[in-house]
Amino acid sequence: MLDLLHDIETEVEGGWEAASRAELHQAEETRRSVARFTRVMWLSAFLLLFFNSSQLVTYVNGFEVGPVQDAVVALSHTWDEQMRKNGLTAPAAAIRAEVDDLRTTGWAELRAEFPVVERAIAALRGKPRAEDDALPGGLRDTQG
Amino acid sequence: MLFPTLEFGIFFLIVFTVSWSLRWTPGFRKLALLAASYVFYGWWDWRFTGLLFASTLIAYLAGLGLERAERAALRKWIVGVAVAGSLVILGFFKYYGFFLTSLAALLDSFGLARDLPFMEIILPVGISFFTFQSISYVVDVYRGDVRAERSLADVMLYISFFPQLVAGPIVRAADFLPQLHETPRLSREHLGVGTVLILSGLIKKMVIANYLATGIADPVFFDPTVVGAGDLLLGVYAYAVQIYCDFSGYSDIAIGVAALLGYRFLENFNQPYRAASLQDFWRRWHISLSTWLRDYLYIPLGGNRGGEKATYRNLFLTMFLGGLWHGAAWTFVFWGTAHGLMLGLERFIKSKIERFAPAQAGPRGVAGMLGDGAQHIVGVVWTFHFVCFTWIFFRADTFGTAWNYLAGFGNWGEPLQYATPFLTGLIALAMIFQFTPGNLGRWLAQGIKHLPSPLLALLLGGGIWLIWAVAPAGVAPFIYFQF
Repeated sequence: MLDLLHDIETEVEGGWEAASRAELHQAEETRRSVARFTRVMWLSAFLLLFFNSSQLVTYVNGFEVGPVQDAVVALSHTWDEQMRKNGLTAPAAAIRAEVDDLRTTGWAELRAEFPVVERAIAALRGKPRAEDDALPGGLRDTQG
Repeated sequence: MLFPTLEFGIFFLIVFTVSWSLRWTPGFRKLALLAASYVFYGWWDWRFTGLLFASTLIAYLAGLGLERAERAALRKWIVGVAVAGSLVILGFFKYYGFFLTSLAALLDSFGLARDLPFMEIILPVGISFFTFQSISYVVDVYRGDVRAERSLADVMLYISFFPQLVAGPIVRAADFLPQLHETPRLSREHLGVGTVLILSGLIKKMVIANYLATGIADPVFFDPTVVGAGDLLLGVYAYAVQIYCDFSGYSDIAIGVAALLGYRFLENFNQPYRAASLQDFWRRWHISLSTWLRDYLYIPLGGNRGGEKATYRNLFLTMFLGGLWHGAAWTFVFWGTAHGLMLGLERFIKSKIERFAPAQAGPRGVAGMLGDGAQHIVGVVWTFHFVCFTWIFFRADTFGTAWNYLAGFGNWGEPLQYATPFLTGLIALAMIFQFTPGNLGRWLAQGIKHLPSPLLALLLGGGIWLIWAVAPAGVAPFIYFQF
């Protein structure tokens, strides 16, 4: 039922001798692409290992208790501490803080930061800016 | 195993390395991919790998039977039994509880309450998807679109191939099986497409869908009575974007992962919210399901060959069953029914317009072009809002919640609670991408395919790092896992 032998034999019968130039070119391209993407994946993995070590800790914390798992957890924590000490986790933390800032920004703060937004809203509503503390449609902002 | 996790990253690294090292022995390569697919599925609950195998075996044996049977009646019987067998498995795991609950409610309303044999049945992940693929294989062999596979391993790999196993796209036997017989190849184009799709899928799912879900859609749908119309309106827009980004994000990653393993899946989403009619929407949304429903349900029902009334009936039945496919709840049935009715109505209005005001041949004037543009814009706005209206029923856990949601649109006096500039911006950004050139992804893939390895690694690794840094903590499951 599993037709493995047939596949393998067909492949061997064809052989390199019988392969056309186009097939050889394709095989060479595949070899190069596989090698290329293998390098890409390993480099990406190292990049993440250095700059995203907190994710590794989150992942290993989900392991069950056991001698090997405990060793892996301890190693990951030590690795993360080292990365933290050397400032490699700082960029991710800074980006996260920026995004958190953005998330908690309310409409009022946005208008204060970008007067053009306030002017546009005032123009839309046809009211002077000073009186305006509500959003279009009479919706009042509770965020800021 | 979820795509945007470290464990999937490690899993894929191993699968990629092993499968490509076995490329000179395609049989062993397929076996390795098959083992990987069963590990991927068993990671969630290994007991259900037996169910996956049973569904495959039904399709495989039916295929062999159809190849050997010559009498038309016997062939019909084989295809009928195989499709019924697959649907019985699906029906038991997915609809048993729903059927008994509905029956109990019906008996109760007639004063005939009975103790019914209720059971706690776990819904196996992806059962709707692999059942549809099994049916697709059997029907394609019956119709002569594909030859029956003699290799069980090939049929098993077709149905269980891990990128599409749990949430699609629903791959056709005629598209995938021939690829298993070709020498696997990987080109610069595959790498470019794979990288772009994986990164775009991760952004859609981890950043846009997850923020919109936790920030507005989940709280607003949890209790629509405590928020005002502004939040409800932005909440349903948020859900429309969330479900699109969640599902198309999964499809993007699945297509990208398959491309990196040397296989081609067809596109599953094509900027659906730019559709100017509901018919157009269904040509762009979950394309693998809508074409499946068209080819295996609508056309066998008669399609548009039996006159106007039969066409409307077939449209309605197809969408009704499409709704039921999504979930065992009346809200999903309503969702499918509403789409079916509107598709029928749209067809009716279009046919009347064409009869009374047929399109003019020849060059159009400026006024005509402006009229067409305006008509297109109205069509896009109307279609998007109708789809949003039906999403309310799709997302709400009960009709009561959906009704409260709709009733809340009368309350414009409440202040905004959840509609922050950040979430509004995310919705706007996602909507802008619905109107960008359709081949933007292809251009990007073309652009990066010649990058040297370190730069490509910087793009992939740096992209994943940035997405993880920006995305909310934790990994939420994909919406379509429940179907």
